[in-house]
Amino acid sequence: MTRGAASTPLARAALLGIALAFLGVFLVAPLVAVFAEALSKGFAAYGAALIERDALSAVRLTLLVAAISVPLNIVFGLAASWAIAKFDFRGKSVLITLIDLPFSVSPVVSGLIYVLLFGAQGWFGPWLRAHDVEIIFAVPGLVLATMFITFPFVARELIPLMQEQGRDDEEAALSLGASGWQTFRRVTLPNIRWGLLYGVLLCNARAMGEFGAVSVVSGHIRGKTNTMPLHVEILYNEYNFAAAFAVASLLALLALVTLTLKSILEWRYGIHGRTGY
Amino acid sequence: MSIRLTDISKRFGAFTALTDINLTARPGEFLALLGPSGSGKTTLLRIIAGLEFPERGTVHFEGSDITGLSVAERRIGFVFQQYALFKHMTVAENIGFGLSVRPRRERPSRRAIRARAQELLDLVQLGDLGNRLPAQLSGGQRQRVALARALAVDPTLLLLDEPFGALDAKVRKELRHWLRGFHDRVGLTSIFVTHDQGEALEVADRVVVMSNGAIEQIGTPAEVYDAPANAFVFDFVGESNRIPVTAADGKAIFRGSALDVDANGVRGPGELFFRPHDARIGSVDEVGIDAIVSLVRPREGRVRVESAIDGVSGPIELDVAPDAAPTPGQAIRIVPTRARVFADRIAGARAA
Repeated sequence: MTRGAASTPLARAALLGIALAFLGVFLVAPLVAVFAEALSKGFAAYGAALIERDALSAVRLTLLVAAISVPLNIVFGLAASWAIAKFDFRGKSVLITLIDLPFSVSPVVSGLIYVLLFGAQGWFGPWLRAHDVEIIFAVPGLVLATMFITFPFVARELIPLMQEQGRDDEEAALSLGASGWQTFRRVTLPNIRWGLLYGVLLCNARAMGEFGAVSVVSGHIRGKTNTMPLHVEILYNEYNFAAAFAVASLLALLALVTLTLKSILEWRYGIHGRTGY
Repeated sequence: MSIRLTDISKRFGAFTALTDINLTARPGEFLALLGPSGSGKTTLLRIIAGLEFPERGTVHFEGSDITGLSVAERRIGFVFQQYALFKHMTVAENIGFGLSVRPRRERPSRRAIRARAQELLDLVQLGDLGNRLPAQLSGGQRQRVALARALAVDPTLLLLDEPFGALDAKVRKELRHWLRGFHDRVGLTSIFVTHDQGEALEVADRVVVMSNGAIEQIGTPAEVYDAPANAFVFDFVGESNRIPVTAADGKAIFRGSALDVDANGVRGPGELFFRPHDARIGSVDEVGIDAIVSLVRPREGRVRVESAIDGVSGPIELDVAPDAAPTPGQAIRIVPTRARVFADRIAGARAA
C-alpha cells in the first residue's frame, strides 16, 4: 500500500513529463521555430515579406476562397445534418458515408478529381474551353477543391448534436403553429449555435490552411492562383526562408487564434451542455 | 370538441403499430390511452395531433375530416413527455411562442402576448416565474409551463404524452389531482397517454386500454376495473391473480372441485382471475384453492398474504384483515369472492 501510494505521484509526474515533452517537441518547438525564422532578418524584413505584392495577393486569395467556401459549407452542413437528424429516409446511411468521404480520401486525389472533370483534358474540358469558362488553374477550382475538403466539418459537428437533441423541440414549435422556417430560426438554430460556431471555426481553419487538393488545381501562378500555403511552399523552394516563414507565421497565428476561440467555445459549450436537461 | 377515429392503421416498416382503431371522444371528455410500451398508444396520440399520419383510416374533428391536415393546422395543444421547452427562452417567452409566430396580421402586440403569458402563468399557479429559464424550474413546474404554452394558442383539443412520466412519485400524485381539477375548470377535450393504470383510473372520464396496436376495452374507470372485457385488461388494470382452471357445466373447476365461480360462457381450458381484495381465507369444509403461505406483510390497513400453489407459477396474493392474518408456512384455503373466468387463449389456440 505504501509502495502504491509512493509510486502514484511518481507515475503521474512521469506521464505528465512525457506528455509535455511530446507537446514541446512536436508543437511548441516548431511554432517557436516558425516565428524565430520569420524574424531572423529583423522586423523590417518580416514586414516587407508580408506586404510584398505576391504575398498580399496570396492572403487576399486565401480570404476569398474561405469567404466563399465556408458560408456554402454552413448551408450544406446545416441542410445535411437537419435532414439526417430530423427525418427518416431511404439512403440515410449512404449520405452519412458520403459526408465522411473527404476525410478518408487523400487531398491530392480530391484535387485530381476536379482536374479530371474540369481540366483541359478532362470530361468537361473541351466544353468549358468552348464557352470560355476557367475552373482549373483559376479561382473556381480552388473554391471547389476547398469545399470538397472542408464539407464534413460543419455537418460532422452538427449531426450528433442534433440527433441527441431529438425532434421534440421542433415538433413542439410546429404544434404551436410555427412554420418550418420559424421553427428553424427560433428553435433549432439557437439549440445548435455553439456547435455550429465550432464547426465553422474548424472549417475555416482548414479552408485557409488546405494544401494538397488546392495545390493540384492551382497551377501555382504567382499573384494569381497562389493561396498562402502554396505561396509558402514556393518561397521555401526558392530558398527565401525568411519570407516563407513570415507568411507561414500568419498561418500559425491563424491556428493560435482558432485554438483560442475553440477553447472559449468549448468552455461555453460545456457550460451549456451541463445546464441542459 | 368531438373527435372520431375510424379504422386507423399505421405501420413503421415491417412493424404494425396500429390496426383498425375506432374511437370517439365526446366534447369536454378526459380520455386516457392506457397500455404497456409498444401498445401503440403514443402513436395513436401523435396521429390525432398530426405529428404522425395513418396508412389507412380517417380522423374527424367536430365532424370534419382533418386526416390530411398538418399539426400546425389542427389547432391542438400538445404536451410532450420531456416537456420540450425551448431552453434559450424564458418561461414567459416559451408560453408566448405560439402567439409570436402567427402571421403579422393576426399576431397580438408584444404587450398583449406578455399579458396572455402572465394570465396563463397565473392559471397554472406559476405567477412570478415568468423570467426564469426552464433549466431553473423543477420537473413539476416545467410540466405546468409546457401545459400553459400549449394552452396559449387556444387549442380546441389538449393532448398529453405521458404527462407525469418524468416526475417523482410524490409530485406525480399532486400534479395528477391538479390536472383533473384543471381539466374540470377549463373544460377542454383532453386525451392523455399513460402506462400507469392508477393514473388512468384516477384522472380519466373514460379509459381506452390498448395492447399490440389494438383497443382491448373502452370504458369508465369502474367498468375497466370491475368488468374487464378480457384477460389482458383484467391483468393490466389493477393487480390480479391468475390460476388455470377447467370450465364445465357453467362452473370453474380447479383440480376436481367446482368453485363457486360462474364460467362466464367458457368451456374447456380457462383461466380464473381475481384481485387480491376479492378473496378470503376459508375454512377446511369450504370449496376453495389450497395454498401454502409464503409471506405476510402489512399493507394500507390490511395484510397482504403471498402464497404458493403447487404447480401454479407465481405467487397468489390476497388481502385480509390484520386479525385474520395467517403465518408463513401455514396451509390455507383461498375462497375467491369475486372472480372471472376467461378462455385460455394459448390453450384454446392449441386445441383449435
